[in-house]
Amino acid sequence: MTERYSFSLTTFSPTGKLVQIEYALNAVTTGSPSVGIKAQNGVVMATEKKQKSILYDEQSIHKVEPITDKIGIVYSGMGPDYRVLLTRARKIAQSYFLQYQESIPTAQLVHRIASVMQEYTQSGGVRPFGVSLLICGWDNDRPYLFQCDPSGAYFAWKATALGKNHLNGKSFLEKRYNEDLELEDAVHTAILTLKESFEGVMTEDNIEIGIANEEGFHRLSPSEVKDYLASIA
Amino acid sequence: MATTVSCLELPKGGFSFDNCARNARLEERGLTRPKFRKTGTTIVGLVFEDGVILGADTRATEDTIVADKNCSKIHYIAPNIYCCGAGTAADTEKTTEMISSNLQLHRYRTGRPNRVATANRMLKQYLYRYQGYVSAALVLGGVDCNGPHLYSIHPHGSTDKLPYVTMGSGSLAAMATFEAGYKANMKKADAMQLVRDAVAAGIFNDLGSGSNVDLCIIGKDMKVEYLRPFDVANKKGVRQGNYSYKPGTTAVLSKSIKQIKYDIVSESVQEDMDTS
Amino acid sequence: MSIMSYNGGAAIAMKGKNCVAIASDLRFGIQAQTVGMDFEKVFPMSDRLYLGLTGLATDVQTVVQKLAFQLKLYELRENRPISPKTFLSVVSNVLYEKRFGPYFIEPVIAGLDPKTSEPFIASCDLIGCPMEPEDFVVTGTCAVQMYGMCEALWQPDMEPDQLFECVSQALLNSVDRDAGSGWGAVVHIVEADKVTTRRLKARMD
Repeated sequence: MTERYSFSLTTFSPTGKLVQIEYALNAVTTGSPSVGIKAQNGVVMATEKKQKSILYDEQSIHKVEPITDKIGIVYSGMGPDYRVLLTRARKIAQSYFLQYQESIPTAQLVHRIASVMQEYTQSGGVRPFGVSLLICGWDNDRPYLFQCDPSGAYFAWKATALGKNHLNGKSFLEKRYNEDLELEDAVHTAILTLKESFEGVMTEDNIEIGIANEEGFHRLSPSEVKDYLASIA
Repeated sequence: MATTVSCLELPKGGFSFDNCARNARLEERGLTRPKFRKTGTTIVGLVFEDGVILGADTRATEDTIVADKNCSKIHYIAPNIYCCGAGTAADTEKTTEMISSNLQLHRYRTGRPNRVATANRMLKQYLYRYQGYVSAALVLGGVDCNGPHLYSIHPHGSTDKLPYVTMGSGSLAAMATFEAGYKANMKKADAMQLVRDAVAAGIFNDLGSGSNVDLCIIGKDMKVEYLRPFDVANKKGVRQGNYSYKPGTTAVLSKSIKQIKYDIVSESVQEDMDTS
Repeated sequence: MSIMSYNGGAAIAMKGKNCVAIASDLRFGIQAQTVGMDFEKVFPMSDRLYLGLTGLATDVQTVVQKLAFQLKLYELRENRPISPKTFLSVVSNVLYEKRFGPYFIEPVIAGLDPKTSEPFIASCDLIGCPMEPEDFVVTGTCAVQMYGMCEALWQPDMEPDQLFECVSQALLNSVDRDAGSGWGAVVHIVEADKVTTRRLKARMD
């Protein structure tokens, strides 16, 4: 019965556009930037985590999060919306494991998260998510990198950038990327891509980096990030 | 039937009672319902100086038949928590799997190792909800920030927290061994021997328990040693004769061979498709 | 009489060297009356994956259809063949969902891993408790007889031909001591590059 009185906010404009989705994408492009790069022996993703005040505690809330042992996720856009999707993604991964006793392939997880995001463009009483996701993982003996948009569209990338200045980031990556990149170099490239548009000094407290390789996914500790930053400067 | 499954939907989960009315009717007509696979079982746990030890036998029975001579009864719950199961084998298997999955989510949420008390509470609340119909009797052991913990959990959802516990049909024999041999703060080697003896008492005196002794030792540093088997209490004899039949003994009416084409090609094909 | 023996039947699976065998009898009965002699209880699920189901015939057919549906959905969604271990998990979950109103069937699974060609056998009880032994699995009205035969006949690393004789003799001699099963048998030997299916000459009484 409740469906009868709840209307979808996402309705077509006469020109055939879903402007709510375009607004959601605007929320993404004004969000802080994220980068993902696939290398020969792993994937890296990095994101800017600038705080508005020095009073914030930088190491209690994370943007780069694990979904399973082998899959990680990061976003550009609205933090609260991201956490809803993160919780859903982890539940999807767990129920897949309970059903099949094998961990979910990255491509399957991305497909299912994208379905959730699509559902929110067509259901009553909800609005689309204001985030684009980067999902990276290692399975089938190779790396994977995907992007999920508020519309529910998803893409497989060799390297990409999201959020503020993503066009500059992408053209930077187009120049830097090559097929036989090693993971270590990819981490450097990811940091450099963020640095292109970074205002102020980049430290281990205002960026986050995640890595997926043969050993699985993990978020780099502040001291590891510091080492990478030192080796670039 | 509401079983439209979409690939976009999450599996609904939960039990289905679709067959209950039919099954009851079959039983009314004098057909008896079959027995489930049980783990008759001796499972035990003990807190020692440096952590917890869990022990179990490896026999599964279906009525009086030994269905599995080497089944695994010590289930993974979390990296620092394990759980022995007795009762209906499917129930112990699925209950521990589910709680393990929920604890994994809990770990992601909290960003730290699970406490044994959390696992205990999740298990007891689940079992209490099913009024004992999910017949899992568990021995839960683990180490967390508060040290080693050991619980026994009954199918109706009641729990005990004790330094040494036993469960299953061999629990009386095992408890007798514990009562005679337990001391506080035992050394690891002594504790392992006592747990082995307790499980062995079940294996040799209880018909529902048999075969080998499995041990799982969780140290205070949260290091886990899973010894399977720890002790082969009943070795199978080596067969002296050879009973194999000569080729051609069995009379064959017809024979057809289906060639399977793909084999070596398969790996490259899969890689291309998965990126789509 | 148990519901499990209402229709009669037997199935068995065995591990060999780089091969597996799975076999069933062909009887379909209603209590003591034999109605059919072509009721196969082993079903091909994919190229090198076979499922044997014994118990109440109506549930055998329902469950095999349910599983075939789940399996095809998996293969279409993931664009790859299912591994036998994963399939066991699916079977187990389908059965455990009906924990409090079960299907009266007991499955056996035999197959080779699609990637590694590793032999795999497994069985479940009627509410889906999985079991993966190293040697053989049996289900049906003459499970007790088959346990005895297999304990005597099975040995490790049997070649396909030897495995065929072993599984056939274990099954035939067991069903001959059981009124509820028999009336012919079918045996599948699954190898990496081929599956050999043989129908056996058996007692018809």
